Amino acid sequence: MVVGKKGIPIISNKEDANFREALKLFDSKQYKKALKLIDLNLKKNSNHAESLALKGNLILNLPANGENKESDSLSYINKAIAKDSSNYLVDHLIGIYYRSKENYFEASKWLKLSLDNGSPNKAILRDLSFMQVHLRDYKSLKESRQIYLEHQPGYRANWTGLAIAQYLNNELTNSINTLSKIEDIITPHLNASDLYEHNECTLFKNKIYGELKDYSKALEVLEGDESKILDKLSYLEYRAKYLLMMDDKKSASKIYRALIKRNPDNVAYYNLLELSLDTINKPVETRVKLYEKLSNFYPKSDPPKFLPLTFIPSTNPIFETKVKEYLIPQLIKGVPALFVNVKPLYKNQSKSEIIEKVVLEFVDNELPNIQNPTVSVWTNYYLSQHYLYKKELIKAMEYINIAITHSPTLVELYIIKSRILKHENKIAEAMEVMNEGRELDLQDRFINSKATKYMLRNNCVNEAIDTISLFTKLDEGTINGCKDLHIMQVNWILIESGEAYNRLYSHYKLQLESQENDTDKEEIQELVEIYKGLSLKRFQSVLKNFEIFYADQYDFHSYCMRRGTPRDYIDLIKWEDKIHSTPVYIRALKGLTNLYFELYEEQKGTPPTDDDIQVKKINKKQKKAQVQANKKRQEFATRVESEKDDSDPFGINLINNLLSDDILTKLYELYKPLIVEGKDLLLTWESLFKIYLYQGKYVLALSAIKNFHKLLNNNGTTTTTTKHCKIISNMLIALSDTLNSDIDVNPAIKKVVEKGIISSYPDFEK
Amino acid sequence: MGITIRQATINDIQAMQNANLHNLPENYQLKYYMYHILSWPQASYVATTYDEIININDQEINLDEIEVTDAKGDVSYINKGEKIIGYVLGKMEDDPDAKDKIPHGHITSLSVMRTYRRMGIAEKLMRQSLYAMCECFNAKYVSLHVRKSNRAALHLYRDSLQFKIESIEKSYYQDGEDAYAMRLDLELDKLLSKSIEEEDDLETDLI
Repeated sequence: MVVGKKGIPIISNKEDANFREALKLFDSKQYKKALKLIDLNLKKNSNHAESLALKGNLILNLPANGENKESDSLSYINKAIAKDSSNYLVDHLIGIYYRSKENYFEASKWLKLSLDNGSPNKAILRDLSFMQVHLRDYKSLKESRQIYLEHQPGYRANWTGLAIAQYLNNELTNSINTLSKIEDIITPHLNASDLYEHNECTLFKNKIYGELKDYSKALEVLEGDESKILDKLSYLEYRAKYLLMMDDKKSASKIYRALIKRNPDNVAYYNLLELSLDTINKPVETRVKLYEKLSNFYPKSDPPKFLPLTFIPSTNPIFETKVKEYLIPQLIKGVPALFVNVKPLYKNQSKSEIIEKVVLEFVDNELPNIQNPTVSVWTNYYLSQHYLYKKELIKAMEYINIAITHSPTLVELYIIKSRILKHENKIAEAMEVMNEGRELDLQDRFINSKATKYMLRNNCVNEAIDTISLFTKLDEGTINGCKDLHIMQVNWILIESGEAYNRLYSHYKLQLESQENDTDKEEIQELVEIYKGLSLKRFQSVLKNFEIFYADQYDFHSYCMRRGTPRDYIDLIKWEDKIHSTPVYIRALKGLTNLYFELYEEQKGTPPTDDDIQVKKINKKQKKAQVQANKKRQEFATRVESEKDDSDPFGINLINNLLSDDILTKLYELYKPLIVEGKDLLLTWESLFKIYLYQGKYVLALSAIKNFHKLLNNNGTTTTTTKHCKIISNMLIALSDTLNSDIDVNPAIKKVVEKGIISSYPDFEK
Repeated sequence: MGITIRQATINDIQAMQNANLHNLPENYQLKYYMYHILSWPQASYVATTYDEIININDQEINLDEIEVTDAKGDVSYINKGEKIIGYVLGKMEDDPDAKDKIPHGHITSLSVMRTYRRMGIAEKLMRQSLYAMCECFNAKYVSLHVRKSNRAALHLYRDSLQFKIESIEKSYYQDGEDAYAMRLDLELDKLLSKSIEEEDDLETDLI
């Protein structure tokens, strides 16, 4: 129910009666019937504000009749505002209107106003609180949840909601108090179906105790609550952590052993066990013995076998022994990932040499005596990857070819062969070989994905989409899975497609420059435009998916309170708050950034005029060619549509809209969230530098250089690689050049920046 | 990169979705993964690589020589050096119309990247997930569907984990293929694989 009955003003007339009836129909989603009543009302009294507001909502919710649905509905909303914005029913309806449009900022404003104007409908507070947390307005959130709890104290969800609001406001003790209070109230009334929620809320409370860093108190509460806790894994993890923080290492170590017993494949527990046993600085032999013991307990688990390889120095003869123990059984078993698993050890060159020796000795001494021929295949497979890593491509190819000759139907081998070809820069051949692999196992989507990826790397986008479409949903009337790939949020293919289109765009752009024939030129020009647009469009669709990922949290603002999963809900909030630093998002942004800067140059170079559109007379032959070209274009469009009835399949409008807009500001908008979420990314500061520089914001540009520089020194590293030195000095040169050639620059600012450069980079010469 | 197996968190879901899209034809939007994690946080597990620990453990590596870069733009990475190579997405039966009111779990999806097979990862993921379902949600049994043609999966469920085939569901999958409906009764003690040789008594000093 959207509007409570109590919310209806007492003065009643025919209009109000109709309105009330219509409101009920609106609540039960009978929009057509409701609209009839409302229209009746407005015929009599076109100033009836409530009816106007409801009509705006109804138009929005009814199936589109004409193209003006959005503006139509908004005009009624605006009329209602003009007539009577102090009417709480009107305010509420406007709030609902904006909520439907997912404009939570406006929606929360109107819902708040509705309450301020005297709406007795307390359910508004619930809705309001979802919007406030969505907007991260934690202060108002707490207020709403507090009042709502006073109104409806009979539901645990409302207590959990308040506790979460307090937590988000960093009022940890208050949050604990709220959780404890309801825990006490509810304990005698729990049903079996409440026990999980009870367990989660108890653990949430305990987690906050831990965050207060009073570990002995946290431990005491935890142990007291043990019987309420079903999630024994969390119980053990919390307990061990508290004990470790309290320096009761002996007790902590026993719990980490219990945790390892539960899950002997979680590497974190081994690290924490060592921390609690104080073995990290003990002699290597002691640590090796420890892991030998653990490996005996858990012979099927990888960490106790692998971890020693990371800390035993290459100079210690045990390393070779342990490498043998690790590698040989897995070579014999035929573990495809063996090389990938030990690859990080290769960062230490002496270790990689020992590994090479061990494998080659195995080949010489043991392999000839092994009956099972597949062992030799997997060993060659290993060696091929080994030499690929060492960039000895000829050897790598030799080994993989031996393996393929022996087992020509083993898909994994083709993956490696293809990768070697890629490193030889034979992109087309790499694609062919990966596809051979795919054809050996048409049921397997993994190899299909790999083949698709290599097609994209070879810029064969159509072929790639056709290949992956063997595993996508094919709706009637569609010729490939392109739309489904968008619906299913397949970011990897969107980003790879965007990059492939981008390469095609660059390719044809280059061709255009060397082309002399006018007709050919026109054709190529069209391809340039299409591929540029498509590239932009695919990158944008990755960003769009992230908008969806952000919007997805909305339902959980209420769901998690009821379900009683506050800990993971808090994780969700934190995750969403840094979602823009996700690697694939950054990659899409990087692609977009380059396009935006190109468009910016284009915009600067050619002032928008209509002069260059030439009206040419065309003869019959040309006309026929044009019809053909149009048909081809149409066919192409159906292949690349990203949604049903895509109005801009090639992204041409996207490009044109950008060109008629302030591109730098648009790009800055994309980077704005990264100033916080992506402050640890090189790309953030590299791009912001360029944006600020073009915008003439020199002080900010300099601080971007400094932030970029700071990142390079963060990782414990002190030396900056020459590549990075060059980037920094290029940025400094660009800054000082632009500063000197800018005649409009404020002299005071110029001075500040120049001084800043000298003080931060005294070695920098102009 | 060693492999580690741990409970899935909300931070993992994009890479889980990615693994699912790489390996299987049944795919879901991200919100469905969110729904799993936020409803049954204990029931899903991931297998990930770990790479960064080498930099800490190996004293012979000169950190200054390692170039600072942004994380790889590959969707399978959740952190530097940490990528998801397998997952199990588990849930409890929450359909109010379900016939059986006994609490029971369901495996929504499980897959391991092809290049990481033969390491027993799928079985380990399953055991952890089943253990949690039983312990936290009091699941009495767990059910799942397998494509009739998927012999590797059938081997895992039937032979390694002792699932029983309950029935065959005709044209269960979008492409018309039949599914085996499988089921395993859960007993906490039997779920973790035990070493035959020696067991940690959790008391005797390790060093």
